[in-house]
Amino acid sequence: MGGLAGRVNRIAIVAAGVVTPIGEGLEQFWSSLVTGVSGISPIERFPVADFRVGRGGEIKKITRIKDWSRVPECRATRLLVSAADELCAEAGSRPLPGDPDRVAVVVGTALGGVEEGEKALAGGRRLQRLRGALYDSPTQNLARWLGARGPAITVSTACASSATAIGVGADLLRQGVVDAVVAGGYDILCRFVMRGFDALRSLTREEMRPFDRRRSGLLLGEAAALVLMRREGDAGARRLGMLLGHGSASDGWHIAAPEPDGRGLEHSIRAAMREAGVEPQDVHFVSAHGTGTPLNDRIETAVLKRVLGPRAHQVPVNSIKAGMGHTMGAAAVLEGIMCLLASRHGQIPPTLNLEEPDSECDLDYVPGEARSARPEISLSTSLGFGGCNATLVLEGGTS
Amino acid sequence: MRAPALRALGLMTAWGHGAAAIPEDALSAADGRHLLSLGRPSHEGERFRRATRECVLGIAAVETMLKDACAPREAIAGERTALLYAAAGSYAASNRLFIERGIGGAYFPYTAPAAVPAEVTIEFCLTGPFAIFIGGPPATLRAIWYAATLLEAGLCDRALVLAVETFEECADLYTVSDRRTGHPLVEAAASLWLEPGVGALSLETHRGGPDSDHSEIRRRLGETFACEPLAVLDLWRHGNVGVPLSLRGRWRGETARLSWTDAMVPRDRAPRSHTAGTS
Repeated sequence: MGGLAGRVNRIAIVAAGVVTPIGEGLEQFWSSLVTGVSGISPIERFPVADFRVGRGGEIKKITRIKDWSRVPECRATRLLVSAADELCAEAGSRPLPGDPDRVAVVVGTALGGVEEGEKALAGGRRLQRLRGALYDSPTQNLARWLGARGPAITVSTACASSATAIGVGADLLRQGVVDAVVAGGYDILCRFVMRGFDALRSLTREEMRPFDRRRSGLLLGEAAALVLMRREGDAGARRLGMLLGHGSASDGWHIAAPEPDGRGLEHSIRAAMREAGVEPQDVHFVSAHGTGTPLNDRIETAVLKRVLGPRAHQVPVNSIKAGMGHTMGAAAVLEGIMCLLASRHGQIPPTLNLEEPDSECDLDYVPGEARSARPEISLSTSLGFGGCNATLVLEGGTS
Repeated sequence: MRAPALRALGLMTAWGHGAAAIPEDALSAADGRHLLSLGRPSHEGERFRRATRECVLGIAAVETMLKDACAPREAIAGERTALLYAAAGSYAASNRLFIERGIGGAYFPYTAPAAVPAEVTIEFCLTGPFAIFIGGPPATLRAIWYAATLLEAGLCDRALVLAVETFEECADLYTVSDRRTGHPLVEAAASLWLEPGVGALSLETHRGGPDSDHSEIRRRLGETFACEPLAVLDLWRHGNVGVPLSLRGRWRGETARLSWTDAMVPRDRAPRSHTAGTS
């Protein structure tokens, strides 16, 4: 740290990797997003008969990795490794190019390895699995698999976790602590999280309908997604895009409900735009948190109108959660990658299941089908339990 | 990078309040006990009915910090205060309760590590930048480093670094898992108040190497996971100001080291020679 003169604001995102309920790999993920594929299905991996809702965005099979012999038997780790394998292929090698001591891994999660805790405490009491239940276990496993010997950092700001991970990773680069950062997030579906959201009555028995008048809650999904970040000057010409800014703020309001006026979200968006040096008229696209809960979607709409002013009605806003479920710790990084792919491909994926407008949600949410547009600068917003709010400002790049 | 200055520190361990309570030898002081609990501080009111013990300990640590600063709650309220939280396993108790006892959905949000800082932000009306680092001592060192980046960038006027570790509810699990290190498990909660400073701060990480650098503080303090660097900071503050401050932490084979100069010199009270050239 301290080797850089001044604050380097521009961080390049040079590669990415994803595994999601709508596809493994960037190509399939993108194709499913723009064609409106739904990855919501009955959950098969564990019993759900005792829940009100037994559907979600479950990944049925991980096909990319053929040999798991050197990877712990932990689903969270395996999703991360699958995403990392694509990232390494995009970047050209594993270990990643450069000094492994100068490569950091920063991963966000809402649940960590909690399924390992469930298994350890179950009837057989396989207590040797408890180490895997610690929230930082999958990150450590990923760092080992990558051969990265720099900081291995786990952050857990609930469903804003991967936005925080990207923000912390960017600061590691800006301060010269490391030369490359693998950042992102993950979370898996397991009985623990399904039971929690089910008991809170947050899950809908219907379709997930972000910004629709009939929206009645969310569905959960599982995913892992990672990006490789470098300082702009070290990144070379090939890149997915740039991270221009990151902002975070807490609500200081309620353990589970968002602050009714969205002041924390507003602070985080304004902070991210300030860091990015972006004004409302510069914003071309917003990837909303868009969970399909009555409160979230109304609050987000009101906040975007306050922050962007008249511009809010001129920019497309979407939510990609209806097709995958809310992937919690992976949501923010997936949505950030979606923003960059939208710029690359000149299309904005639609908000699925949005059919009946709501007078309180009166922005352009890209209903129905993908929109031809090439957004240069995008905002991506995230909210989480405990009043965690985070925003990313991204700029599309060239491949 | 520009170092922050230490304004106040509230340290609670199962040994007592502050650095003065820390024994010379944890094993002798523990007198055969493997685990020393902090208990549950009393906080009245409906809002704390479901709050877990670690949440209330987090609030108590911030109250202790405010006493150390001789400052009212209003001094830290608002969007110009950042909160960085670090913990290795304080969420384990609530996770276990949810898994084993099948308690109701209203308790589910308390299973997240975010529950502790959430209750603190609610209690003290903190609405500034926010991050949560999971892990042992290196997580806390990174939280201090991140606080420094936020202060240096002008994203906040002050930053609180909070750490809480509880063990009592999972004592049997720690006994069978490989986290037992021969030192007693000592519950702790600590909150650090940082302001813009004039010194320099650097963070280094490496893997491997001997654990001997870290065994001395654990011999004195016992095992406190993420609270350890804040306890070391309090010991340094009460005995060694004037010698270079170097905080080290090791966790899962990874060692982090934070070098910090002029930790007690805030920018607004520094001699003119210190502040020249700062924005």
